[in-house]
Amino acid sequence: MTESVLELRGIDMHYGYVRALDAIDVTVGHGEVVGLLGDNGAGKSTLLKVMSGAHQPTSGTILVHGEPTTFASPSDSTAAGVQMVYQDLALVEAQDIATNLNLGREILRKGPLGWLGFVDHKAQRKRAADELDRLGVRTAPVTRPVEMLSGGQRQVVALARAATRVTGERNGVLLLDEPTAALGYEQTRQVRALIRRMAEQGVACVLVTHDLPLAAAVCDRIVVLNRGRKVADVAAAETDNDQLVGWITGARESMFC
Amino acid sequence: MTVTAEPTIAETADPAGVRGLLFVRDRGIFVLWAALLIGFGLWASPYFASLDNALLIANAAALTAIFAAGIAVGIICGALDLSIPGTAAMAGCVCGALMTHGVPVGLGIVAGLAVGVLVGVLNGLIALRGFNPIIVTIGSLSVLSGLAAALAGGYTIPGLTGLMFLGTDRFAGIPAPVWVVAALFVAGTVFLTRTRDGIRLMAVGGNAEAVRRAGIHADRYKVLGFVVSGFCAALGGLVTAALVTEANPAANPGIIFNALTAVALAGVSLAGGRGSLPRVLVGALILGTIANGLTIKGIQPYWATAVTGVLLLASLGLEKWVSTTVSRRLVVAAQDDKKVTR
Ligand SMILES: Nc1ncnc2c1ncn2[C@@H]1O[C@H](COP(=O)(O)OP(=O)(O)O)[C@@H](O)[C@H]1O
Ligand SMILES: [Mg+2]
Repeated sequence: MTESVLELRGIDMHYGYVRALDAIDVTVGHGEVVGLLGDNGAGKSTLLKVMSGAHQPTSGTILVHGEPTTFASPSDSTAAGVQMVYQDLALVEAQDIATNLNLGREILRKGPLGWLGFVDHKAQRKRAADELDRLGVRTAPVTRPVEMLSGGQRQVVALARAATRVTGERNGVLLLDEPTAALGYEQTRQVRALIRRMAEQGVACVLVTHDLPLAAAVCDRIVVLNRGRKVADVAAAETDNDQLVGWITGARESMFC
Repeated sequence: MTVTAEPTIAETADPAGVRGLLFVRDRGIFVLWAALLIGFGLWASPYFASLDNALLIANAAALTAIFAAGIAVGIICGALDLSIPGTAAMAGCVCGALMTHGVPVGLGIVAGLAVGVLVGVLNGLIALRGFNPIIVTIGSLSVLSGLAAALAGGYTIPGLTGLMFLGTDRFAGIPAPVWVVAALFVAGTVFLTRTRDGIRLMAVGGNAEAVRRAGIHADRYKVLGFVVSGFCAALGGLVTAALVTEANPAANPGIIFNALTAVALAGVSLAGGRGSLPRVLVGALILGTIANGLTIKGIQPYWATAVTGVLLLASLGLEKWVSTTVSRRLVVAAQDDKKVTR
């Protein structure tokens, strides 16, 4: 881990009297896949919402590439290269894959037609195909409407879309909340492979999941939350299923006390 | 930690059966229209299949087509705009009132179209506040009919002969409204399919949240949808006034039903986000063709209405069947692929 892309220091988050997060420190390195585990209500989703700017923490500091930052809204975090991947909200069903991948960063034609706002469909299709190829996930022609894709293919397109948005000059972080919850075995394998491939290309990832084998297979590091506190932060290779279950249920003592 | 045996799936082309079904869904209306033309051509021979009759049909379908374009863009962008008859009446009356006060025709037309744009902006801004667009546009329908009547003093504004070049005049033998429709649909189709704003407008109708997450001001495109629909309504109002050389302040809600029938025939989903203007145009032409063919055969016009209704219901059923069959076949195909690659 050479540099931290996203760092949270002493994050507290209170919903009224509910203390959803209590002095959380998390560091995400360049191209690192961090698993976030915990029982229901442990605060995983809340932590992702703080990272994505959807919620503002009660106190604590967020650093992006070492610089203290505040995220007033999700567009702030997106601009900083931290992006939440929404499965059901991310794609326009009736439009094809290429249009979906290029939405918001359309390629205009050269010359007068471009000034009039004419889109270069050919260049857009090529860019979409290249990006999917780079991630090794071209499973359907880029001219196919999203509504004709399977659940796993959609998930892949949504992930690829988010990945293309955080790979600017400096690679960013994708935030995934239960990305495989609705997927079958084969599709979960696809998503798992995609996350690893993005990591190889420098895109970091924070992954909330209940699927321990998935976490073990895909994550570099695993953070366990228990009732708003961080109870474990270990390299995935240095832990096992039993330990993780112990931290998740609270049977095992926290690493930090 | 390491990922074993990466599951790469080869890019697959659509199975032939699926391509056929998609052809039916996307181009079926053109086939239907061709079948109607051939059928009437044989049945109502020799009167139906003539150039003059074709122009008659096109001219009769022109108004429906203009209003249908407005309704369609509204629905594609996510809102059914019911204020269209009011906007049409108001645009006609503003243009008419200005012309009777000696304002040049061109300026009157521009003012009429500006009315449409303005109504669209207001509808859009009000709907953005979270009110149901149907109720908002019903409200503006009432306001506009009232205003139009007040402007015209309760009577029609007659003697608008200056507008004839948009109405009964012909250019190169083709009636003016047909030219107007041609220009509107070419421009509209190019806008929706080839320009950034048009594509975003369609995307907003499909999934505004996704567009917002792409960092686009989705709200602007919602307003733009109302503006386009208001513009079409105003254009339709001006052509209506031009055809009879007078502006009628009474809004005619029947416009909506005709236009909506054409739009629904064209398979524009009321859920928004999908639809194509060329199909809408053919939808309007189908209505005109049926009315014309049955009239030639001396059959009462109410039969045309009934036939249209049956066609509409049948097209709904066909579309539903095609969509479910396509998704079922694609799922099966995807599973077969996996069996092969394993
Ligand atoms: N919007 C909210 N208002 C009040 N309490 C909330 C809200 N969201 C979450 N909580 C509470 O915060 C705690 C953490 O929730 P959450 O982050 O959703 O956990 P997880 O995703 O790990 O299941 C829970 O006790 C939950 O009841
Ligand atoms: Mg949760």
